[in-house]
Amino acid sequence: MVSPKGDKTMNDMRLIERAVDMNDIKISARNVQVYYGATHAIKDVNVDIADKTVTAFIGPSGCGKSTFLRSLNRMNDTIDICRVEGDILIDGQDIYNPNIDPVQLRAKVGMVFQKPNPFPKSIYDNVAYGPKIHGLAKNKAELDEIVEKSLRRGAIWDEVKDRLNAPGTGLSGGQQQRLCIARAVATEPEILLMDEPCSALDPIATAQVEELIDELRSQYSVVIVTHSMQQAARVSQKTAFFHLGNLVEYGETGKIFTNPEDPRTESYISGRIG
Amino acid sequence: MNEQHIASAYDRDLEAIQALIIKMGGLVEAAILDGTEALATRDVELAERVRKGDKAVDELEERVNEEAARTIALRAPVSQDLRIILSVLKLAGSLERVGDYAKNIAKRTSVLAEMRPISGTETTLRRMARDVQNMLKDTLDAFIARDEKLAHDVILRDLDVDQMYNALFREFLTFMMEDPRNITACMHLHFIAKNIERMGDLVTNMAEQVVYITTGVRPEDNRPKSDTTAFVTAVD
Repeated sequence: MVSPKGDKTMNDMRLIERAVDMNDIKISARNVQVYYGATHAIKDVNVDIADKTVTAFIGPSGCGKSTFLRSLNRMNDTIDICRVEGDILIDGQDIYNPNIDPVQLRAKVGMVFQKPNPFPKSIYDNVAYGPKIHGLAKNKAELDEIVEKSLRRGAIWDEVKDRLNAPGTGLSGGQQQRLCIARAVATEPEILLMDEPCSALDPIATAQVEELIDELRSQYSVVIVTHSMQQAARVSQKTAFFHLGNLVEYGETGKIFTNPEDPRTESYISGRIG
Repeated sequence: MNEQHIASAYDRDLEAIQALIIKMGGLVEAAILDGTEALATRDVELAERVRKGDKAVDELEERVNEEAARTIALRAPVSQDLRIILSVLKLAGSLERVGDYAKNIAKRTSVLAEMRPISGTETTLRRMARDVQNMLKDTLDAFIARDEKLAHDVILRDLDVDQMYNALFREFLTFMMEDPRNITACMHLHFIAKNIERMGDLVTNMAEQVVYITTGVRPEDNRPKSDTTAFVTAVD
């Protein structure tokens, strides 16, 4: 029999798990504007993203959530007509400062994309590639260790440990995506950006990736863009709702999905036209 | 906020489930009035109809439960939609209880019809029941119109019902002390009064639920309470 006291402790545990320490800010955006040519895609966004937290960006297509996510590791630099204004600080450091090397930045801010995109190489090489070019391993033994650790963190080690030399592209979609997550964590990033990581996966693979995201939370600040509001509700502690380039509402996920402040948020999450 | 979902079938599901509550409410309102009417007019046949009518209310409650479970499973409602679903479950539960109290009044009426009437109290009981029925009607109106103000108004009106109950409680005590032959009838009448007082409490809970649907916040529990009979030791 469970004592009432035991129940209480358990409830408290859940509350502690859910708690977000907003004093521990990892990413801080101030008056961020993003333009694609003449198009004003992100309008004056201010947001603080906490460390060791899963933050979900939701919103209708074209609302700017992916654009904003991509500006967090300067992926937008690759687009000529794209212009970012305002400040984006990671650990208090402006990432758009000319002294910042985008390659180093992206090692610190890992990214996982919508479609699993393993390199056309072996499973081992997919994971080893990042640590190799960033010089994280002194010898083969150390590299082996990093690969195993990353694959374990990607929750795919047991499935691939006997065929590390097989091509990464030969895995199933869900396995490929977890391989990509393993690849992203191999360079010891501090932040993991995920752009619709489950949209090409079946429900079981989705559940596995979601479980993985929840585990990653203990070490990283995870930011996930998702079209599935149920997914945002399941995996995140904080949710930001974007609409027409504006950050409409940002708050605790439970609050956003039970009693949002803004009528536009309510319209969107409850499946009314936003 | 937009009123309509993109999936129009979702709207129809939500509307249907709320229509069930209104239908239940209508039946229960009628049971309250008919139950006390039967008591006042010693109409045993009407009392019998009230007793039998409770079955329909119970069946509706079952349907509300099924529809709510189905909507949760299939639509994963959030925000106000979720509050509507959570609330219809509670509203249906409360209405079913109010219906049971009305049925109990009808049962006691069949017994009381055989006894010497206790002068005056039936009129007060009828007035009490009419007040509760009005509270219920306004609660259902507030539910449909999402009228928070009207719901708050209902919550305050429970005070009058409690006060009528207190007065009746003392009256019954007096009658019983005057003549022990009144005891059986007075005991039945007292249970009826208590039933109506409890109906008032349940309707108040329902009104609080309506405030919750509308605002997302439960009203603070600071309404005046005045059922003081728990502290009565003897009649002065």
